[in-house]
Amino acid sequence: MTTRRAQWARSLPVSWTEVVVYLLLLALAALGLGVAIVRFMRGLGATTNLSNAYPWGIWITFDVFIVPFSAGAFTLAAVVYILNDERYHVLVPPVVLAGLLGYIMVCAVLLADLGLPHRFYNIIAFLNPESFMFEISWCVMLYTVVLVLEFSPVVLESLGWEGPHRLVRSFTVVFVSAGIILSSLHQSSLGSMWLLLQDKLHALWWTPLLPLLFLLTAIAGGLCMAILVSMLLPRAFGRPVRTHLLANLGRAVAGFLAVYGVLKLLDLLIAGELGLLFTGSTLSFLFWAELLIGVAGPVAILSQSRLRETNRGLLAGASLATLGLALNRANISMFAIWRPRGTVYIPHWMEVAILVGAVAAAVLVLALAARLLPTMLGPTEEEAA
Amino acid sequence: MSKAMLIDTTRCTACRGCQVACKQWNDLPAEKTRNLGSYQNPYRLSAYTWTIVQMREVEYEGRLFWSFLKRQCMHCLHPACVSACPVGAMHKLPDGPVLYNDARCIGCRYCMTACPFRIPRFEWDKPVGYIRKCHFCFDRLAEGLMPACVKTCPAGALQFGEREEMIALAEQRLKAQPERYIQHVYGKEEGGGTSVLILSAVPFAYLGLPTLADHPVPSEQELAMPFEYLGVPSLGREPVAKLNDDLARYGTPGIAIGVAAILAGLQWYSKRRGTGQHTGDAAPAAKESGS
Ligand code: SF4
Ligand code: SF4
Ligand code: SF4
Repeated sequence: MTTRRAQWARSLPVSWTEVVVYLLLLALAALGLGVAIVRFMRGLGATTNLSNAYPWGIWITFDVFIVPFSAGAFTLAAVVYILNDERYHVLVPPVVLAGLLGYIMVCAVLLADLGLPHRFYNIIAFLNPESFMFEISWCVMLYTVVLVLEFSPVVLESLGWEGPHRLVRSFTVVFVSAGIILSSLHQSSLGSMWLLLQDKLHALWWTPLLPLLFLLTAIAGGLCMAILVSMLLPRAFGRPVRTHLLANLGRAVAGFLAVYGVLKLLDLLIAGELGLLFTGSTLSFLFWAELLIGVAGPVAILSQSRLRETNRGLLAGASLATLGLALNRANISMFAIWRPRGTVYIPHWMEVAILVGAVAAAVLVLALAARLLPTMLGPTEEEAA
Repeated sequence: MSKAMLIDTTRCTACRGCQVACKQWNDLPAEKTRNLGSYQNPYRLSAYTWTIVQMREVEYEGRLFWSFLKRQCMHCLHPACVSACPVGAMHKLPDGPVLYNDARCIGCRYCMTACPFRIPRFEWDKPVGYIRKCHFCFDRLAEGLMPACVKTCPAGALQFGEREEMIALAEQRLKAQPERYIQHVYGKEEGGGTSVLILSAVPFAYLGLPTLADHPVPSEQELAMPFEYLGVPSLGREPVAKLNDDLARYGTPGIAIGVAAILAGLQWYSKRRGTGQHTGDAAPAAKESGS
């Protein structure tokens, strides 16, 4: 193991740029942590621009975007361990770690968002099974544990702990299955959460299909995360990108997005609300943007093998779809909700700083893991040979 | 039995005695307010102001109305806030009041997001804030008294009693003076019904209340709402909380069982197909746990 790690380290000389990037990420993460401490000491009113008109702000938008984006971990695990397609196994560690970091970010940001954060354990002590917020919190907590288990083999193997490693391995299918069930539940519940806003959420977005639509976009968005991580991380460390594998994922993204797009439009058609697309209002424009950037564009790119077999095409398709996902979640959680006249919300810099810090910390951990854990990016070419 | 309050906006003189009575009974502090060019003051509900008399100048059928509507928690029969609350801090008493339990709340503010009447407020000014809203004077109700605001109303605009009686009283007034009222008891059916019932001389949408989808509503321009698209939020007769609760009750186990069945099926299928195709290190794991 030591020799392997030594080899690994030698194959990757640390450059100054890399060190500077790490330090920068560290600084941002430290700033975020500092601001978070201020937020806990001084309360929400003093450190955010949230108000009675905007009880939820950019933090919730971040959460409802990062959760489906992190779904890459569960979709890829389903491909490898349930559909038993071994070829994708090599992609699993970085994607699962990215998913895990995504969920840890969400938990941290949710904690900062609570008005009574010191009481978070009430979510375990008192249950209201009719609340989707309750279901989401539970599934997110449990699924984070599942992700730790799913990622643990990589760490245990690097540490050379054979016993625990084999034990975890032998239960892989069990907790992967649990992860898939938990993910289906909370990804759809994130959509169900908005059902109560029937009269407040604009009709372009409110539909009883919200849970299904959220699940579909989470699968597509998660696959995009898998593509982006599997492309950008090896690239950053000068390792080969497995383009043909990612192209298959890209095709699946196109498929899921196409189904989503058709469902969405059919739903509007049946509800007799297609006319809302052409009112020329700001919201109809946002809806078009979401549909073109997040559905039409990526489907056009990723459905053509000529384009998705190239790194550039894949990158474009996956990035567009991710952007569309973010816009969709922002529309639902922020823009398309009724507000009293004359109220505005522009996030406080402290709200933004906490998010930036969380993302910086996640990227830093992902990069360090890729560098320090020998099995993260799969065998190097010479090892494979 | 379920209690209700009847608000007759046509009788209200905007004396705002109810605002003061509410503050007195509940020991709520005064607030520093700004003059926004309206007698409506404070301008909005807050954690320290649980009821306000909303004042709107409304043009309807060629006449100008100065409408006064007491805003407060509607104490819905199927409250969205109760369905939303993950820890059961929001709960409804059998006789009507929708209450908030300080000791349970985690401050997620989903109740604020979910309430169709935009009632719950948060104590933004405190390091550790709680949700606050009208509690229907549940403490007075328990002693057989009426809410403080109703008790104080000198104009007879507020009435309190059994919900059926209040509906009957409202309908009686509609019949007695048809020209005085829009022929509709607001809150009888809206969102599955509320414990606060309202009578008005102008359509309820003009008062900023979410109205039944099938009710005639003024055009969006007339309302001059901020966002044209949501000028008139609409409520169904079915409480939306019911959709939520049914989905949570049956959908959640349904999804869990359905997905588990699919996974088991896939496992069985891939085993039948033979695990011989497996290469790489995860294959043994799949075999071990599958056996
Ligand atoms: S008006 Fe809002 S806060 Fe009051 S009971 Fe209904 S949903 Fe709850
Ligand atoms: S803020 Fe408190 S009362 Fe409101 S939904 Fe969250 S936990 Fe329940
Ligand atoms: S019922 Fe009680 S708490 Fe509610 S507005 Fe009236 S006085 Fe205030």
